[in-house]
Amino acid sequence: MAVKAFSNEWATEFKDEVNKSSVYRTAAKGWKWTVGLVVEAEPDKNFPEAKGVVMDLYDGEARDVTVGTAADAQKCDFVITAPYSRWKEVATKQLDATKGMLQGKLKLKGDLPTIVRYTKASQEMTECTTRVPVVWPDEK
Amino acid sequence: MHDPGPGRMARRKIKLDVDSRAEFSYADDEPSAFASMLGGLIEANVRSRPEKARDFESLVARVGIFVTDIDEGVTLDFKGGTLVVHNGLKPRRTLTIRADADTVMNLSNLKIGLLGLPIYYDGVGRGIAAKLLRGKLRIDGLLPNVLTLNTVTRIFSVQ
Repeated sequence: MAVKAFSNEWATEFKDEVNKSSVYRTAAKGWKWTVGLVVEAEPDKNFPEAKGVVMDLYDGEARDVTVGTAADAQKCDFVITAPYSRWKEVATKQLDATKGMLQGKLKLKGDLPTIVRYTKASQEMTECTTRVPVVWPDEK
Repeated sequence: MHDPGPGRMARRKIKLDVDSRAEFSYADDEPSAFASMLGGLIEANVRSRPEKARDFESLVARVGIFVTDIDEGVTLDFKGGTLVVHNGLKPRRTLTIRADADTVMNLSNLKIGLLGLPIYYDGVGRGIAAKLLRGKLRIDGLLPNVLTLNTVTRIFSVQ
């Protein structure tokens, strides 16, 4: 069943998808940092307030994924920031996350060599987001 | 002056580590996201790994990197201990690497083996070699500059 985008239900489904992925488990071996996704508000897209997704990722496992404020996400070791519609493009495979970062469509904060070392893991994580059926607030 | 032309040459110095002579700067007032990412990656590598700092100190070359699927490029002007990152491809390049975004990221994941040579026989290396053979990775100026390419690869590698 489809869940509301960036809701607690979405976070649970996303975490389950990550933990089901053997590709992610292998590619993320050794990863031990938190990742925050800041989803910036776009009131004209029926997404009036920014949200933050906090991902506690450890050694190939998603230990916890929660949705809170943007400030929560900004405290993470790695922070990726983009407006709501960009994240929607990523989750619907219209935008490749790697290309998005190189083009500045997704803004990354954190140690670059570490994130580059785990490119495959981050690509698989993006794939996991595309497997969660989502109800988008601007499509109601 | 290097690369005279109409472009702005702000040479904005972004950081200077007191423990290192290495200097990193951007030629443009507003570096592109790709330029910032590559410059940041190289700076982090050089500041954290002494073997990369030694390579950086010795490297004199102008290296272009063009990402074919986002149509964006940068020129990395290495001048023996300093790096100036330009938006776009600038003239008089020693080497120019053209590949898609995934391949450019994979170049940074090449492992470095004995004698400081990149390893092309593991999974990442084989993928890079296959793209080179299929023409999906093009390196202009490769033949006379193999040693320079190896040095750039070592500086670039996060492994």
